[in-house]
This record gives sequence, C-alpha cells and structure tokens, in this order.
Amino acid sequence: MGENSNSVLVIGGGIAGIQASLDLAERGIKVELVEKKPCIGGRMAQLDKTFPTNDCSICILAPKLAECYRHPNITLHTLAEVKEITGKAGNFKAKLLQHARYIKAEECINCGICIEKCPMRVDDEFDVFLRKRRAIYIYFLQGVPSIMAIDPEKCLYLTKDACRICEKVCEREAIDFEQKDSEVNLNVKSIIVATGYEPFDPSPLVNLGYKHLPNVVTGLEFERMICASGPLKGHLIRSSDRKEPKKLAFINCVGSRDMKYNPYCSSVCCMYTTKEAMIAYEHDNSIQSFIFYIDLRAGGKGFREYIERGQKEYGIKYIKGKVAKIIEDDDKNPIIIYEDMNTSKMKKFPVDLVILATSMIPNKDTPELANILGIDLDKNNFFLSNAYLPLDSSKKGIYICGCCRGPMDIPNSVIDASGAAAKAAENAIREG
Amino acid sequence: MLKVDFEFRKEIVKDDFSLNYCYQCGTCSSACPVALVTEGEYNPRKIIEESLLGLKELLIKDQKPNVWLCSTCQMCVEECPQNVFLTEIFDNLKNKIVLTGNYPEAYNVQGNAILEYGLAIPLTTPIIRRRQQLGLPSVESANIEEIGKLLEATNFEKKINTNGYSKTEKGGM
Amino acid sequence: MTYKYFFGCVIPGRLPYLEASARKIFDKLGINVSDQTQYSCCPDPTGVAALDHKSWLALGARNLSLYENDNSDVLSLCSGCTETLKTVQHILNNDPEEKKEINSILNKIGKKYQGNINIKHFAQVLFENLDLIKENIIKPLKDLKVACHPGCHYLRPSEIIQWDDPFEPTTLDVIVEALGAEPVDYELKKDCCGNPLEKSDKELSQKLLLNKLESIKKSGADCIVCVCPACYQQFDFNQRELNKNLNTDFKFPVFYLTELIALALGIKGEEIGLKFHRVRVNNLLQKINILESPNK
Repeated sequence: MGENSNSVLVIGGGIAGIQASLDLAERGIKVELVEKKPCIGGRMAQLDKTFPTNDCSICILAPKLAECYRHPNITLHTLAEVKEITGKAGNFKAKLLQHARYIKAEECINCGICIEKCPMRVDDEFDVFLRKRRAIYIYFLQGVPSIMAIDPEKCLYLTKDACRICEKVCEREAIDFEQKDSEVNLNVKSIIVATGYEPFDPSPLVNLGYKHLPNVVTGLEFERMICASGPLKGHLIRSSDRKEPKKLAFINCVGSRDMKYNPYCSSVCCMYTTKEAMIAYEHDNSIQSFIFYIDLRAGGKGFREYIERGQKEYGIKYIKGKVAKIIEDDDKNPIIIYEDMNTSKMKKFPVDLVILATSMIPNKDTPELANILGIDLDKNNFFLSNAYLPLDSSKKGIYICGCCRGPMDIPNSVIDASGAAAKAAENAIREG
Repeated sequence: MLKVDFEFRKEIVKDDFSLNYCYQCGTCSSACPVALVTEGEYNPRKIIEESLLGLKELLIKDQKPNVWLCSTCQMCVEECPQNVFLTEIFDNLKNKIVLTGNYPEAYNVQGNAILEYGLAIPLTTPIIRRRQQLGLPSVESANIEEIGKLLEATNFEKKINTNGYSKTEKGGM
Repeated sequence: MTYKYFFGCVIPGRLPYLEASARKIFDKLGINVSDQTQYSCCPDPTGVAALDHKSWLALGARNLSLYENDNSDVLSLCSGCTETLKTVQHILNNDPEEKKEINSILNKIGKKYQGNINIKHFAQVLFENLDLIKENIIKPLKDLKVACHPGCHYLRPSEIIQWDDPFEPTTLDVIVEALGAEPVDYELKKDCCGNPLEKSDKELSQKLLLNKLESIKKSGADCIVCVCPACYQQFDFNQRELNKNLNTDFKFPVFYLTELIALALGIKGEEIGLKFHRVRVNNLLQKINILESPNK
C-alpha cells in the first residue's frame, strides 16, 4: 500500500473540501484533494464578501488556498475527476481521471505573457460569462495552483492544429502539448465528499424576465459585477446602458420554496441579499436597495442583528411579498409588479437593476458521483444525510459535508468540514 | 367585526385541500392581470387568506374581494409555488355564493339556457339561415330530456335562479 | 383512433363561418374528422363551473362518454371546451370517488364515463400536421405580420392542458410562419383577452382588451390570430365598442387560425364567410394580394 496507507480522499476543492483537508493534514494525515476545475477555491472564491462579517471573501480564502498548496500532507489533483471507487471503509481504491493541463506545473510562473498573445476569446465561467477569457488561462486571479491551463475545447492548436503562439512566447518553455489525460490510482482509508452546489438557472421563471430583460441578473452575477477583481473592476454599472444603478431590487426565494422547482429553503438568500445590498451601499451611498421576501429567515448567530443593521445603517427596505412578474419601461428599467401586503394594493415599482436570489441546487453530476461512490441521494438530489449523523453518507467510511448534502452558508460548511475531517480521521488513524 | 365561521372553513378546505398549502407569499396577486388593472381591489391572495381564515361573511355576503372578477386566466395556478389550485377554490366559493342568489345575471342567463336547450347559446333563426348559406349541416344537439334528467340528479335547477326564465327566452354568453 | 368534432356552443350558434373554415381545411388536408351529434354545452369553464361544479362535471363527463362510446378522439374547435373536457377527464381520472359518483349520475341516462380517449385542441392537430399544411399551400401569406393570441385556456393550467409552453407559447407562431406570414412577438402575448369578465364587469373586460390591443399595436402587427371563439369575439366584436367607449382607433382584423390556413390553401373568402367579420378584413387581404382588388 506504500505511501497512501493512511490517507483520506477529499472530493471537491471548495471551502468545505479545503477546510476538511487542512484539518486532516494538520493532524498528520495524508490528504488527496481532488478538484475538477483548474484551481481550488470553489464558489466562495466567486463571492465578493461574506456575511455576517462582510469580510472580503477571497481575503479569507486565499491564505487557506496557499496553505493547501504548500502543506506537505496535502496532494492537490486539479483538473481531475473521480471515476471509480472500490473497496470499503479502511481500504478504498480510487481511480482518478487526470485531465491534461498542457502546462508543465513546475515551470509556469504565471507571468501572463501567453494570455496576452492567445488569439481565442472564450466565455469565462468563473465570471459567470460576464467577460471573455483566452483559451490559455488561469481559472481566477488568485487561483491555486497559480499556473495556467489550456482549454482543450477552445485551443486552436488542440482543435484545429494551428497557432501554438503560447508555446513560442513562453520563456519558461512551460507549454506541453504532449501531455495526455491519465489515470491516477489511490489507496485511501476514508473519503470526504464536498462537491458543493450550483446556482439555479431562473430562466424557466419566464415572468421574472431573466435573459429577456438586460437589467435582471442573478445573485452570483451581482457578486462578480461588484467585486473589485471582477469583470467590471468593482465599478457597478448595468449592461443595457452602462449607467450606474441607483435603485436595486432583490427578489428572494427565486426557485426556492417552490414546489414547481426546488421545494426546500436555500437558507442563505435572506442573508446574502442583505449582504449584497450592504456592499452596494458601501460602493455608493446614493444606492437604495429593496428586498422582497416571503419570510425573513435569519436564524444564524448574529443574523437578526445583521438585518437590523441593514435597515438602520444601510437604509435597506424590506418588503413582504414574492414577486412573480417583472416588466420593463422604454429605458429598460425593470418594473416590479407586487402586492403591498399592508394595503392589499398592487404596485408598479420601477428600479434600475433587479437581482434574483436564485436557489442552491445540487451539482448536475451529483447522481453520477453518487453512483460511483455507491451512496444514496435524497429526494432533491443532494447526498442523503441522516438527521442524527449528518456527516455520514449511506456508506461506511464515506462522509459528506457542505452544500453537497443540502444548502448551507460558509460558516456551516466549515463546521461540517471539520466534523467530516474528524470522522474521516478516526478511520484513518484507528485502522491505519 | 370579522367573524370566523369554522364550518365554512372546514367545507372550503374539504372541497379543495390545496388551500391548506398556501403560505401567503403574494405570487398570485403579483401574477394576476386583474389585480393589476384594479390596483388590488380584486386580489386573489386576499380571497385565499379570507378562505383560510373562514371569513364567510366577507367572502360570500359582502364579496370583498369580488371573486366574480377572476378572469380564469390560470396565471396564478401556473405560478403558485405551493401548487394551490386557486381557480378551483374560487369556483367553490362562487358555487356557495350562487346558493345565496347574489351573483351576476349573465351567469344565470347561461345556466338557464343550458337547462332549456343544453347549450349556452341556442340557435336562432338568422344563424340557422346563415349556416345553410355556408353549406353547414344542421346542428343536432343533445336530447333535452336527457340533459334535464342529468341536471335533476345534480340539483342544478334548484341551485340557480330560475325566476323570470320562461322556456321561451333566449339565453346567451 | 379517428377524430370527431366538438364544436361547442359559440361557434355553431354565433360564429358559423369559423366552423365553415375549419371543416374546409380539415377536408382539404385530408385529415379525417367526422361529426358527433348529441353533445351539450361542454360546459363553459368560466360559466357553468362557477354556478355548480358538480353539474359541470356531470355534463362534461356525459359529453366525453359519447366519444368514448364511438371510440373516437375529440377534436375541439374551442379552447374553453378543450379546457373543460381535459379538466373533467383529469379530475375524474385522478379521483376514483368522484368518478364513481359521476358515473352513478350518468347511469340514470344510460351512459358511462371511462376516461380513455384523447382530447385535442384543433391547433394541436394542425401543428402535428404541419408538413401536410406546408405541402398544400397555394397562396403563401407573404407580407403579413401576425400577432398570435394563444389565449389562456389553450395553455393553462399546463399540468392539465399538457400542450405548448404556458409562459412562452410558440405553436401558433410556428403554424403562422409555415403559412408564409411573419409572426410578431409582443409583451402581453400570453395574457388574457378579458372575455370572461364580460359576464361580471364589462368595463374591466375592456381594460384587459385595451392593454392587449395596445401591446399588439406596439409590435407593428397587421392582424390578430386566435384559436378560441371567446377570444375571437372579444377581439373582433368588442374592438369597435372599445373604440367608441374609450375613444381609441384600433382596426385590427381578427382571424381564426383556420381562416388564415384556409386562405393559404387557396380557399375563397366567400366560401368561409369572411364578410361576417365585424372588423373588415378585405383591405388587408387585398393589400397582400390574397384577395383580388375590386378595381382590377
């Protein structure tokens, strides 16, 4: 069994997977951290700030990314996927598919010359398609490992046998088109699943106008729009006329608590819309925000106070009522149709920008991974978790933490991750 | 003073259990075209709220909001996050109002036409002539005795207003 | 399984020219639809259901039993009838107790509801025979901008209707486009025309109609196409009244989908009684060379 004899496999390199890996590594347990994307960081890296402290998200995350990278007990497998798991608790065999990065990891110094010269323009997934990147790219500015990757579906050489400019300009000779996808076999004691969530696409809620009305965006898009390292460089403007929006409306529960889409509460939207409204105000004190809600669910520690601060210090107006219809005027200003529940009167409420607080849904490939791992899903396709042993999957030796087992915020994902790490360590140490 | 009628509330829930799932979010009013043009005077959420509370007098006697202003466009049903079958609940309320006799006359015209002809719009002489001009076959509609028997079994005639409707008056929609 | 017509009350009793256009196109396309006699009012989902739900169910079930007896599917010419018949079937097929009770009522007239036939709106049948329509077009409707009005009961509740998209309907546009015309989009496309409110509040009914017409005007459409006689009456009959009451100047010719298809298939205007339209259609049809100009 060699080196891997007491190691733990962590699937997913978001905040939960990172925290679990660090906890285990600090305990002297070897960690094999697998991430599908070119860099670890996950959803948290896409957020501008975090509630209820309004800390800069990447500032909290970046040191943890670096720690993961340099920790002697952690091996990072980025651009990798778990393809097969056999065995049982104490002796799992994992087969990974390691996608080719076409970059020599030890040579690339992230100087960026290749990016400048690459002729391809590709929709940037990390910036939720609000800007273009190149075919050779770093997944995000502070991404770890801090090296390039080549997108094999967009690269001119890999698709059409042309170009190779990056190779010519790289002084480090770090480009390696000879790299091939490969298989990695690991032997681990236990497994932690931390594959996170995806935001719900609100397009089916046609009457809310997403994708039809240019000034209706999702919460995640807004995070990128307002983020200093985002596509707008933190200068909040709307896409239709590049004007600075002054009046924002946030619509909670978009796709959540809805029997037609996701029947569960996504648990974070009441808070993150408050946070986004606060950030907007901090950017520009003349911005006024309105949050439309069904119920304000502020159950966490300090959350109620957070909302009160939003009202008192940031002038956020909370309006009870779910919005089903958004139209627009001739200047592309969205108009919210809602019922003022205090008077039962209908209101037409024009704003400059609408932010849809879309629900958290399981990653598309969750069922496939459940199948590979041999663990069960719940009725909403999150990994099934037991109320009294919430971190245990349906299979011994496999633990689940963070949003892959249900919607939760960052503090709870971290708590989950530490718990799962403790459980996984038990296996690794006892039988190791 | 508002009075809760527990019997009424039980009946309304029994007629359509989906009422119980309503969490009063206001999606229906936001989606409703009639609520918008009446600025909320007609308000589907309010009707559901009053039904949940069992406010019979407001709904059936005062008709506030007026449930007959529902255009049955089904937008609320389509949008409701809790799958409440609003239009069906409204029909049940209307059925209860009908028993009090206090409802728009046009509905009565239709009801009586069906009692008499089995059709909401009976054929008139000019239309019969026009059908012939267009080369259309004559309409052979249902045996009215059969319809009568069926509607007797459902007590239709006793439920609606038949006063002033002789069997010669023409109905319409 | 073959189709039998369900014309309902409004078309045979008030708008027989629409019936003529439907019969003509189904004949011409060779889609086999025969006549069904003895049916009653569907009954009206916006009327009788409000008076007495039980009677509405029983009458609807009786109508369905006639078709079941002949082993034929329903081809309905009206969206209201389609909705009633589909909803009655939905309720009775999902509620065994209700089905039992309705059948005990039907038993008194020697009939039985089973729930085993298909109910189709005529526009669905046409959509499903789009290639047949395309093959038979003689006069493509070039240079005609059409605002399609699907109407509520053609679409919703989608759980019961199970046809087209309840929020982004496209089937009528696809048919209109196949005829050579240009379907135009408009903001209130999926909204109600206001017809059912005629029974309770005429003014309100006209307000909804006004909103619709204004939205259609913005789209630059030449005419309106609809697939329900209630909507047809609202647009064609009430347009002039609305102009009078609200001092507006709308002059949209209103076509039933079957009429537009009839014209594209080369059927003459006289055969389908175009002269019975309240808003005149001739000028528009002459302009796009579908009808001959009188001075030629």
